Amino acid sequence: MTLTLVQVIVSGLLVGAVYALFSSGLTLIWGMMNVINFGHGDFVMVGMYTAFVVMVWLHGGVGWVGPAAAVLLFGLGVTVYYGLIRPVMRGPMLAQILSTFGLALFIRYTAFWIFSAKFVTLPEGALGGTLDVGGIYLDVPQLIAGLVAIVLTLGMYLLLTHTRVGSQLLAVSEDRNAAMLMGIRPDRMQALAWGLASAAAGIAGALMAAIYPISPTIGETLALTAFVVVTFGGFGSVPGALVAGLMIGVVQALSAYWFGPIYRDVAVYTIFVLMLWVRPQGLLGTA
Amino acid sequence: MGGRLALLALAAAAMIVAYPLVFSGAFMGRLGALVLLSAIGASAWNILGGYAGQISVGHAMFYGIGAYVPLMVYKLWELPPVAGVPVAVVFSLVVAILIGFPTFRLVGHYFSMATIAVAELIRIVISNWDFVGGAIGLMGPATSRTVLDLSFKSSVPYYYLFLAVLAVVLGVTWHLERSRMGYYLRAIKAGERAARSLGVPVRRYKLFALLLSAGFTSVAGSLYALMIGFVDPDSVFGLLISVEMIIVAALGGAGTLFGPLIGAAILVPLREFTNSAFGGGGSGITYILFGGIIMLIARFEPGGLMEIGRRAAALFKRRPREAARVA
Amino acid sequence: MLLEAHHVTRDFGAFRALDGADLTVADGEMVGLIGPNGAGKSTFFNCLVGDLTPSAGRVVFNARDVTRAPPEAHARLGIGRTFQVPATFEDMSVLENVMVGAFLRHPGRAAAIDAADAVIERVGLAGLRNARARSLGTPGRKRLEIARVLATEPKLLLLDEALAGLNPAEIARAIDLVRQIHASGITIVIVEHIMEVILSLAQRVIVFDQGRIIASGKPADVVEEPAVIEAYLGHSLKRGQKR
Repeated sequence: MTLTLVQVIVSGLLVGAVYALFSSGLTLIWGMMNVINFGHGDFVMVGMYTAFVVMVWLHGGVGWVGPAAAVLLFGLGVTVYYGLIRPVMRGPMLAQILSTFGLALFIRYTAFWIFSAKFVTLPEGALGGTLDVGGIYLDVPQLIAGLVAIVLTLGMYLLLTHTRVGSQLLAVSEDRNAAMLMGIRPDRMQALAWGLASAAAGIAGALMAAIYPISPTIGETLALTAFVVVTFGGFGSVPGALVAGLMIGVVQALSAYWFGPIYRDVAVYTIFVLMLWVRPQGLLGTA
Repeated sequence: MGGRLALLALAAAAMIVAYPLVFSGAFMGRLGALVLLSAIGASAWNILGGYAGQISVGHAMFYGIGAYVPLMVYKLWELPPVAGVPVAVVFSLVVAILIGFPTFRLVGHYFSMATIAVAELIRIVISNWDFVGGAIGLMGPATSRTVLDLSFKSSVPYYYLFLAVLAVVLGVTWHLERSRMGYYLRAIKAGERAARSLGVPVRRYKLFALLLSAGFTSVAGSLYALMIGFVDPDSVFGLLISVEMIIVAALGGAGTLFGPLIGAAILVPLREFTNSAFGGGGSGITYILFGGIIMLIARFEPGGLMEIGRRAAALFKRRPREAARVA
Repeated sequence: MLLEAHHVTRDFGAFRALDGADLTVADGEMVGLIGPNGAGKSTFFNCLVGDLTPSAGRVVFNARDVTRAPPEAHARLGIGRTFQVPATFEDMSVLENVMVGAFLRHPGRAAAIDAADAVIERVGLAGLRNARARSLGTPGRKRLEIARVLATEPKLLLLDEALAGLNPAEIARAIDLVRQIHASGITIVIVEHIMEVILSLAQRVIVFDQGRIIASGKPADVVEEPAVIEAYLGHSLKRGQKR
């Protein structure tokens, strides 16, 4: 009995790692600009469909999927920043919230229009099958997705803390004016952050495509998951997003296992609401 | 100048009242009722989102509660659904407080996020709860047992019922606009920190606005249930219901009295048209359009059509030379 | 004593921005707070108005302890403040802005309009009564902020660099306005960088440096003190240089 439990937990950790990946981008943007991207979940969805299009329509190999999603979403992120976010940031709150909300709808229903509502999945490729690790059955695609996600999230963290570009991003996040005085161009940095965050979301989507059925409306749930992870882990904290993502993944898996599949999302939303009541600054954030 | 405006307003009001008599077909009658229904929901949202600037992205939860409770009252006790309307309002107010109380003391987007999360939570619970009909939903009385059932064959009685409710909502909003609460809400929207420094009890007023807004939204949901006679989780608790309230208010002019009505008059026919013109895939196109419109409003004119109108009017009031300088 | 601050301290994590500041302000005084950037005067100011809660110490206004009270409570008790960067309600008119202030003491619409109009007149903004705050320039916005807070009928008014960013002519008009407000019986505490302003307005000056109060007294005396001159890096304050 406990073996199954371990399996559930490991599975949760792996999925949670993917959550951490796309949430790390969101927390970066949030920390830098205090802008909430309602469309973040739909960026992940676009990543999922990119994987689908590359593999099923274009018959590309698995290796193309990640880079394709990354490049496409990076471009999308930067375009959205310059076209929509930057002009709207100086305006009233209504405009800021409406802008990414409208974007989410637009992307979501464009996908709906192109792909229709039915679920699609990626073909079973060379990376299929299960691995038996001492009695625990691990789904190979899930294992790969989770491991890649952890590596990339850590990579994001290292990028921010150990490279020049990363320190510039963090500088703008801390104190925009001071960063400007140091010769950093906040505008460019913010665009870069949007590009990175979107690319992370895209890659996460490509990874998720291997383990989840793809549908146009999945973005809404993913966005909320990202919000929960970011709030849980503390705004602006990539390590926080990692820890929180893993935890949320496990909570989801356990809820589904103990109570039923519907409770996956119910558990996450309930945690969020309870957190708002009890500890809104998250686990690792400051009040 | 004031006289001309008053005449125009009177003419518009007369047109609105006479509408079902002029356009007496079933389709147009239904359309009119739907426009008014949408205007009620959007005007309710407007109190919190337009005036106080607190953007709720999950207002469907109040709408859904308002739609479900009357039909449950009918299902359980065979009472006329209308008896459930006040009960629905109470439920909605309770949910509103549970969300607003913790989030309004926080700085940031917590309130908005909480509204989506709770709305979704409620939708999932209702979808999976057989007691309230699960994913299939609930039906109201098939025919009117007494007039109290409010189950009419024609849309015309609904049109006038909705018009009366809209008049009440707009009346309350108008009174609010002119009162201290109205000024305080606008101050909160314009600058919370400054508002605090002037003695505005920010959290308390946000809660008032939320309660007012939630209550009216609940009534709108009830009206929907009365007219359509059938509810299911997606049609009243879905995100798209929340979206529509927002876009209708924002297109017309969030924070203005008649903005939501103007928005409804444009968007509801548009929605009905694109839904029918593009067949089954219609709802995809409708929401692509809506998403695009929301982005355009946010990017170029957050004040909506009323603001565009106001600026145009200000230009025309000056002498042409000055108008050229300003433009 | 109208306002007393006892040993007010404020830490930000490991950094002590304010260390044991004491201040007493008597009814009817005009007191200036000066000091170089980062000296702690803004932190102190924010502790006085309720925007920040002190880590230690007490703030007492009119014999009421307001140390932990929120800004709304401060306003109700009669403490008013302006903002360094004007925080006017941009899309509301001048009248509407001031009405928000007036509603604190006059809950009814008609009374609020009258009270607001009176303040607008007094402050010299009558010609712009219906203009949107957004259309005012910086001096207009600063004046509007003052009108708005005056409408709350404060006993104590705290001005946060109310004269920054104004040209000499505007500064002269602003000084005039502040004098008028003081003459009407309102106690004023003013945080300022510009020396001429402090020297000409304040009866008493408190100097901050590195989180502590290093001098206090009549302006002319304080500017001569070696500690103060050193805090400003040796530049002579008598030449009235802006810092």
